[in-house]
Parts: sequence; structure tokens; C-alpha cells
Amino acid sequence: MHLIAHLPLLWAQASPEDVVLEMARLQRNFQFLSYGFAAAWTILTLFVLMMVGRERKLKRQITSLKAMLEERQKK
Amino acid sequence: MREKLLYGAGLAAFLLLARNILVIADLPGEAAQGAIFKIIFFHVPAAWTAMVAATAALTLSILFLKTKDFRYDAAAVAVTEVGLAFLAANLVTGSIWGRVIWGIWWTWDVRLTSALVCWLLYAGYLMLRHAIEEPTQRATFAAVFSIFAFIDVPIVIFSIRWFRTQHPGPVFLSSTGSFPHDWTMVLLWNWVALMLLASILGAIRLGQEETQREIDYVRRMAHAL
Repeated sequence: MHLIAHLPLLWAQASPEDVVLEMARLQRNFQFLSYGFAAAWTILTLFVLMMVGRERKLKRQITSLKAMLEERQKK
Repeated sequence: MREKLLYGAGLAAFLLLARNILVIADLPGEAAQGAIFKIIFFHVPAAWTAMVAATAALTLSILFLKTKDFRYDAAAVAVTEVGLAFLAANLVTGSIWGRVIWGIWWTWDVRLTSALVCWLLYAGYLMLRHAIEEPTQRATFAAVFSIFAFIDVPIVIFSIRWFRTQHPGPVFLSSTGSFPHDWTMVLLWNWVALMLLASILGAIRLGQEETQREIDYVRRMAHAL
């Protein structure tokens, strides 16, 4: 939307090559912005996945502990 | 009750983040930098969240050394882990931003280097905890290390005021800054959302740490019998 609003100005003041270059710069900007957000959310998602893994490990430990205690009670 | 609160907070954080993403997407690009400038709405709140987590870790570590109450130690490790994740997000978004604006992924300027050192120090804190078996010794050493690591936090925060850096100077709470009011509000709302998210992750991590301690305690008791 903002890019379209700028186009008449660009056409009036710059050569077609300049417009192509500016379009490429804007495209690159958006591309890196998406990389930035994707990287940040990936890091946070990995952290959440690590916590999920730890939760599973804790559940396994509780199960083995229960089994151990039951075995001791039988003896 | 605790779970219900966490689910409620999680829903609030999700809705707030979704709303913020829509608001940020609708903002125009900055005059000189274009769309990439919008990364500031995540880069800066992530750093603030990490610094709050570091301050909380310092306070909890001091409280542990004072009281020897292991709940403070559990909370300290929970906030440190969450802060580390947010500092990593801050470093990575900053690097991507730098690639577009400076043409380089990284430079050894004071702000960037001190932030990386801060990340390494808190990563070292977590490694130290893994290296020590005995719980009291582990908690004491970790608390002392956390207090030592916090020395770097003011250097990270004030480096852009104390030194000439490649990193831009202060924009917020500064007479030289020129950040529009409505953009500041968007940034602050995103910080609220990230703080909420960090609090939820910290609370879940704290719950895990407490469960782990209970398991270790029961296991020791079982072996002793």
C-alpha cells in the first residue's frame, strides 16, 4: 500500500533503473525483516520445545520412582 | 489454580502479540531505513525483558545467599534460562538488522560485545549448575556467579552512553532521541506482551525445577531407607 503510494513520486524524480533499484532495496528490507522475526520466534520455540522435553523427562523420572518405591514396599 | 492462571495469561499473551503484529504490520516504513526498522519492535523489548530477568536473577541470588531458601535458587535458574532465550533473540535480530543497515552481520563494538559477553556469562551460570552435584554447594556457587555476572548488565545498558559505538545511541528516555509517541506506545505494548510471555515461561520452568527437587529428595530418601 505504502509502496504504491510512493510510485508516482519515484517515476517523476528518478530513472527507471533507480525505480528498479529502489524496488530491490525494499524487497530486501522485507526479506530481512521476515528473517529477523522468524529467527526470534524460532529461538523462543526451541526454548519451549526444550521445556516440553524436560517435562517428559520429569514424568519418566516420576514413573520410575513410583515403580522403585512399589518394589521396595513389596519386599 | 496455578494451571488456570497460566492458561489465562497464555491466552492474554497470545491475543496481545497477535494484536501487536497487526499494528506493526500496518505501520509505515521508517524514512531512512524502510521496513527493516520495524524489527526494533521485537529487538528492543526482547533486550529489556532479558535485562529484567537478569535483575530478577540478581535479586533472587542475593535472597538465596541471605536465607538459604532453595525456592529462591529455583526461581533464579528459571528466570536466568528465560532471560537467556530473550537475549539470544535480541542478539540474532540485532545481527540481521545490522546486516541490512551496516552491511555486516557483526562488529566488536562495546554494546554488541558486552551483550554477547552477558549471554556467555549466563550460559556459563547454567553450565556451572550442571557441573556441581551437591545441591547446597551448587546453589551457593551459582548465586555468587549470578551476582558476578550481573556486573556486565549496566555495561550493556549504558555502553551506548559511555562510549562511541557503531550501535545507535539512546532513542528512549533521552533528550537526543526522536522516537514518535505512537510508535513508542506500540513498542511498550509489545514489551508488555513479551514480559507476559517471559513470566509464563518462567513460571512453567519454576514448576519443573520444584518438581525435579522433589524427585531428587524422594530418591535420596528411598536410597537411604
